[in-house]
Amino acid sequence: MLVIRRRPGESFWIGDSIEIEVVEAGPGKVKLGISAPREVPVLRSEVKTTRDQNRIAASGLTAAAVESLLAGIQPCAPALAPPRKENPRTPAREPDMEG
Amino acid sequence: MPEYETKFFGRIQCASSSIIEFPAGLPGFEDQRMFVLVQQAVNRPLVFLQSLTRPELCFITLPARAVDAGFTVKLAEEEARLLGLPAGTEAGAGSDTLCLGIVALAEDGSATINLRAPLVVHCGARRAIQVIPEESSYSHRHPLAPQPEGAPCL
Repeated sequence: MLVIRRRPGESFWIGDSIEIEVVEAGPGKVKLGISAPREVPVLRSEVKTTRDQNRIAASGLTAAAVESLLAGIQPCAPALAPPRKENPRTPAREPDMEG
Repeated sequence: MPEYETKFFGRIQCASSSIIEFPAGLPGFEDQRMFVLVQQAVNRPLVFLQSLTRPELCFITLPARAVDAGFTVKLAEEEARLLGLPAGTEAGAGSDTLCLGIVALAEDGSATINLRAPLVVHCGARRAIQVIPEESSYSHRHPLAPQPEGAPCL
């Protein structure tokens, strides 16, 4: 990785069209100004990771994968809503499983 | 009631009052704005996030609090505005917001949940966004399974 030392107010270029300026350097935090063409996406790394992770989550999902995921999960508390009572004469809650 | 094609549930009927709007979409899926949350007793505690405009797009999520009982995320001003909540809202702490983590499955079957960028649903307004705080102690790939012996179950 290329490392460049810059002071606030100084900048550097990536190619002929992207300029990065150090606007402010505080303790533990740096503020950067980015001038880039509109078609160049500028993403914080956590946003890029989120985008990549969302794509992985959306693509790897098959019915079989859901089955295998469920096999490793043991529900013990209602998450959103209690289960529907299918037969009012039987108790809605099954006996708690061990653990 | 309008009907929608889904990935796992065939055709479903969905009242407009059940539709969750993502005003900004999700990163990587910015054009997907209309979703519905599907939870089935057999699949608890999983919550499926099904797109209403792209049938093959369905995320599996889990309530963040099913993984970490104390989970909250502080909303930035713009995020709170998009959700119609007061600035500085701590999502997940009250009953009006629900935090969900998107689950990803690796080829080896291991599962992770993205708690670094949770989905925050404002239940009353039926609006949601994927929140990506500048700072967070959570991971994009928080391991989900297998649970070690004696760990609290989901």
